[in-house]
Amino acid sequence: MGNFQALPDGDSSARPTAQLTEVTAEEVSLLVDGELDADRVDRVCRGLRERAAVETWVCYHVIGDSLRGQCALRAGFSGRFSAQLDSEPTVLAPPRPRPAPAAVALAIAASVAAVGVVGWIALATMPVPPEAVATAQQAGAVRPADARRPVVNEYLLAHQEYSPTTAIQGVRPYLRAVAADDQDAPR
Amino acid sequence: MPRGRASLCGRAGVALIALLFSRAGAAQDAAEWLQRAATAARQQNYSGTLVYQHAGRAETSRLLHMVDEKGEHEKLVNLDGPAREVIRNNEQVRCYYPDAKIIRVEPRTYRNAFPSLLPQQLDTLAVYYFFRKAETARIAGVETQAVLFEPKDGMRYGHKLWADLNSGLLLKAQLLNERSVPIEQFAFTDIQIGIKLDRDTVRPTFTPPPADWQMRESLPGDVVQQDTGWTVKELPPGFAKVVEGYRTLRGKPVAHLVYSDGLVAVSVFVEPTPQAPQPIGLSQTGGINVYSRQLDDHLVTVLGETPGSTVRQIAYSVAHR
Repeated sequence: MGNFQALPDGDSSARPTAQLTEVTAEEVSLLVDGELDADRVDRVCRGLRERAAVETWVCYHVIGDSLRGQCALRAGFSGRFSAQLDSEPTVLAPPRPRPAPAAVALAIAASVAAVGVVGWIALATMPVPPEAVATAQQAGAVRPADARRPVVNEYLLAHQEYSPTTAIQGVRPYLRAVAADDQDAPR
Repeated sequence: MPRGRASLCGRAGVALIALLFSRAGAAQDAAEWLQRAATAARQQNYSGTLVYQHAGRAETSRLLHMVDEKGEHEKLVNLDGPAREVIRNNEQVRCYYPDAKIIRVEPRTYRNAFPSLLPQQLDTLAVYYFFRKAETARIAGVETQAVLFEPKDGMRYGHKLWADLNSGLLLKAQLLNERSVPIEQFAFTDIQIGIKLDRDTVRPTFTPPPADWQMRESLPGDVVQQDTGWTVKELPPGFAKVVEGYRTLRGKPVAHLVYSDGLVAVSVFVEPTPQAPQPIGLSQTGGINVYSRQLDDHLVTVLGETPGSTVRQIAYSVAHR
């Protein structure tokens, strides 16, 4: 993915029209395989700024990897993905100065597309329960940070007392506050 | 009036009445179903192994529930990781964290809104959820009937619940996202219902607690129901306030307002900005979404068993009256 940031940074004022930058799936496929004519490479790279093209790019890479048996998506990928994400420390620091917005947007688009495509591919080809995929996708969208928030655990206990779910499930929902993987042991 | 028209009116009338009855019927069914599950949860003795799944993880715990002349006693022990446990004696809930050497005591001062709240919210349930019976299924060796509460808007999650055909006890519960994919599940993998249980089986493992453990207790007097001056200006449809007051958390009074749609609740907490910086924004644990934001010199935290957009919307419409 790092390659995206190194793409030629076209002058936005002289941005080619959509027709000129539009790339076909075949062109993306050729680019992935390194078989694209040299004179078309620049244009296709520019075209990869479009979300659909980026998705195609990621998709072909995933397909290529899996055909070569180098599939990063072994069984249980989604579970490990979300577990890994959960284990990342929560960053509470104020936002740092950002790199150029264009590069960030491209990187974000690429990673969003990757999560989407990866989720789809996993759903279609892997023995991964759909639930795990959904949670992995959710984990990508939402910070799984509350487990480290000392305040929230107390709030959760206070909340549970009044929730109708407690009435039909007894203390079961309290598991959310005492779950073993919950790093928020009270301090 | 021409005969054709009269009969058309008649048919429309019948259809309207049928519609009203079916809605009332659905509300009645949903309410009765929930009542039965709540009653079974309170009145039955049961003991089983419970698996809690969320975010691709599964944790196993042991759950015991018994009723005697003194009331309800319930014990939940984690079998994976630290042996944390939850003990409930009627209104009082105690959480034991042996890894942190802490015991948290929560008084249940306001006897759970359910099912006494239900009659007022009977209509709400039918307006905001489709209720229908799903398949029958065997869960933990027990024949169950599954039911679905499908939300009619994006403000709430779906619920799929499996209850024992005999006792009505809930054996499996799922929260479903907007694509009907489970995001959290509680399910028994084995259960014995209607058994005789000894009182000792539901006592805390740590009795008496070691001397170096810290007791963090919310006293009944620490929870006061009163007007807090805070309000939610744009409450999502179907939610109504069930309680408002102050509770003492970390030695400070925190405003706590609870809103419910009859099936789930959302809590709003407002406190003076804590000295230690708190993360703001959205986060999620299992079926609970949490949204925190700064409002002048206060920290507003909203959490509940609803989608992130719902807690966010509520957090942004909290205001001082």
